[in-house]
Amino acid sequence: MTALKVAAAPTVGLFDRVSDLFAVINMLPDTMSDEEITGLMKVLPPDSAHSLTAMLKPHLREGSLAFMKMLAGWLQQAKEAPEQGKKAVLVPFNFPPELLHAFDNAYPITSELLSSLGVIALEGRGERYWDMARGLGLPDHICSSNSIELGSMLASDDFRPQALVSSAAGSCDINAKIHEFVSHYHDIPQFLLEKPVDDSERGIEQFQKNYLLLVGRLEEFFEEDLTYEKLLPVAEKTNRCAELFFDLWDLHKASPCPVPNLFALYTYGVRFSMWGTDAGIDCMNTMVDVSKRRLAAGEYPAEREVARCLLVYTSYYFDLANLFNWMESKGYSYLADGLGLLFPEPIDTSSRESILRGLATEAINMPMTRQVGGESMSMSWLEDALYVAKELNADCAIYSGHHSCKQTWSVLSILRTEMMERAGVPLLALEGDSWLERMTPMSAIQQRIDEFVTNVVASKTETTRRKVGRKKREEA
Amino acid sequence: MSDSMQRIKELTATIENEAVRSWKEGGGKVFGYACVATPPEIIEAAGVLPYRIRALGNPDTDIADSHLSRFNCSFCRSCLQLGLDGTYDFLDGLIETNGCDHLRGMFENWQYVKPVPFFHYLKVPHLVDEGAVEYFVEEIALYRDAIGEAAGKEISDEDLRGAIASQEKIRASLRDMYESRKAEEPPFTGEEALALVLLSSAVSSDEFLELCSAVVDERKGSGVGDYNARLLLIGAATDEPMLVHEMESLGGLVVSDAMCYGSRAFWTPIDTGADPVRAIASMYLEQLLCPRMYEDFPRRLQYVKDAIEEWNVDGVIAVHNKFCDVHGVDNVQMRLALEKEGMPVLTLEKEYGSAADAGRIRTRVQAFLERIGGRR
Repeated sequence: MTALKVAAAPTVGLFDRVSDLFAVINMLPDTMSDEEITGLMKVLPPDSAHSLTAMLKPHLREGSLAFMKMLAGWLQQAKEAPEQGKKAVLVPFNFPPELLHAFDNAYPITSELLSSLGVIALEGRGERYWDMARGLGLPDHICSSNSIELGSMLASDDFRPQALVSSAAGSCDINAKIHEFVSHYHDIPQFLLEKPVDDSERGIEQFQKNYLLLVGRLEEFFEEDLTYEKLLPVAEKTNRCAELFFDLWDLHKASPCPVPNLFALYTYGVRFSMWGTDAGIDCMNTMVDVSKRRLAAGEYPAEREVARCLLVYTSYYFDLANLFNWMESKGYSYLADGLGLLFPEPIDTSSRESILRGLATEAINMPMTRQVGGESMSMSWLEDALYVAKELNADCAIYSGHHSCKQTWSVLSILRTEMMERAGVPLLALEGDSWLERMTPMSAIQQRIDEFVTNVVASKTETTRRKVGRKKREEA
Repeated sequence: MSDSMQRIKELTATIENEAVRSWKEGGGKVFGYACVATPPEIIEAAGVLPYRIRALGNPDTDIADSHLSRFNCSFCRSCLQLGLDGTYDFLDGLIETNGCDHLRGMFENWQYVKPVPFFHYLKVPHLVDEGAVEYFVEEIALYRDAIGEAAGKEISDEDLRGAIASQEKIRASLRDMYESRKAEEPPFTGEEALALVLLSSAVSSDEFLELCSAVVDERKGSGVGDYNARLLLIGAATDEPMLVHEMESLGGLVVSDAMCYGSRAFWTPIDTGADPVRAIASMYLEQLLCPRMYEDFPRRLQYVKDAIEEWNVDGVIAVHNKFCDVHGVDNVQMRLALEKEGMPVLTLEKEYGSAADAGRIRTRVQAFLERIGGRR
């Protein structure tokens, strides 16, 4: 008779597991040989090893190590925040963390980034925490990007923040709703920043007012004045991060694209965590340096660049090897995705007021807020997607179809029609869950991208080449 | 069934009802709105008929599905379907609000595919603080100007006060009708009450008040006594009398609700003495009971708790359409809070208007009623 085995309740939360793993990663040397990487992978659980193997491919290694070490520092500081008298504040990805970096008594942690790290780095890809959220009765269509981390917080003895900032009101109902739920469930104070769905001067002015009101409330909560002296270094470093972002942006324009596909993800990983800090600058610097060297050397992972792809909203995060690296191997450059649609503007550092105004402008330009938080979801999103497609010379657009993004799903047909009509950019609409492997067969995603590129994009680019050739011949 | 109730059911069984047709034949304009945060007072003040968009359980969404996705709520898809298939061609204007992401998508697609002659976007904040209230006061003023221009009439404060008084009469009669359902043998079933609520935003104020008064008179002294449990219905946009009929056919009696097409639309009286624009802003923002307000759960919970006590409720059914974000999460939060206090709650996620879902819903409601039925 087989003995009945009862699994222990998974009380270790996502944050604790991720921060422990990254503490180990932080101990790795800055340069590692292939042999050392192979050895390291043998001691890691399979899911963790799968992701790290993808991230530590030779052409990605330097950038990936810089990125992972930056995150290790971010997690470590969040963990130590309470001991240091700081309040850890959970923010959504569309809230610029640099404001909280300026406080002595606060530290930002980003729920979607934590979920993503759980999905990328942990054995089991964080699914147990999703199940915990579902166990409370939360619907199956809530967003896994929040609910994996927040499920852990709701149902395990995981690390808990002392406050929440919710800034998705107006751009994503489910994001705002799940943060409200956690706030009530654990009696954690919530600070709401609303972006009016109003692109007029009045609407923007209202957002500025809302932002300043939030700053005041946070000052009161942290019992700390946000002085010019505290804001200035953060604003200067924020500006430096923006400069490096544009350096990387310009590098994307070269064909074949010298920026490795995964750097798209790392860029907004920095944006959502350490933007406005030295660690953020270091990581951005490394990505720029690596890409410049690759441009100079003409390095590209495939024989030729077949398609330049713009993902118009979220990506897929649970299998980096079989999305980002697979695309590279096929010659499909991943130029950017919707979460990397950053439009930073230089912050005027002349006064406290000008810095806060600049930070508010950063906030209004954050991904999701700027597009689907606009007066017209479809037109604001379309304008940015078209702009990026033209700037980076994208051949095609791909919508990952994360099922919980109801706001983008609701206007996707308009985006698809208009992108084709206005710019001749075809759009592939996929369906799946960006963070849950169990919902999304990566092989099917690969197959659809392959078919799309082969049957639509490649033939389109070939026709364009023929037209250009004919025009040149006629001119000659 | 009384004559008046028969007439009410006829008028609420179709989208373009006889009253609307007659209004249009008389040269009147009709403006549609969908969200409970939209003040019909201003439309009425312009001499236009305010009509709350509904789908009445329409299950077909084939046209809408090529614009909205299957991940959008089926209520919005049903409404869009009716917008695109010509059912709503009688509308001369549409007022959008940012009620939820699905609703925004519905309006954007409607305007993109088949624009109506007049379109206005009323932006409603998601929280109540001084800044938000001031912003909304300005929004209401802009809304008033836009409606006035579209209707070819400058809306004076006097016009507005008149419309506020008229709409308040509607709300007051609905409140009275709901109060009457506190009786052990209520004069109206839940299905009938929903029909009256639907009528209030589908015909002119005068026509509604006349019919409402008549049906209340006809029902005096009568009551529904044959039921096993008194139910409170809470949750999402549900304008399906058939859904309530099904619940009641199983032995439950819906005695009150906290629904979007229900008490939440009329429960709070408006301050008729105040500056009319401010009074409207206060009514439709500060008093708004909707899970889209992200700091307001305690007030929503209190509203439900008060209803449970006042209507002597045995069980709560929290209903929402599949993919509804705001109610989908709020209903869980409600369930957790109410169950903690010993109140049985059934959370019912459903596809809007779907006949295929009917059997499953019946089974779940039946099980719930059996679970709580012994209490009476």
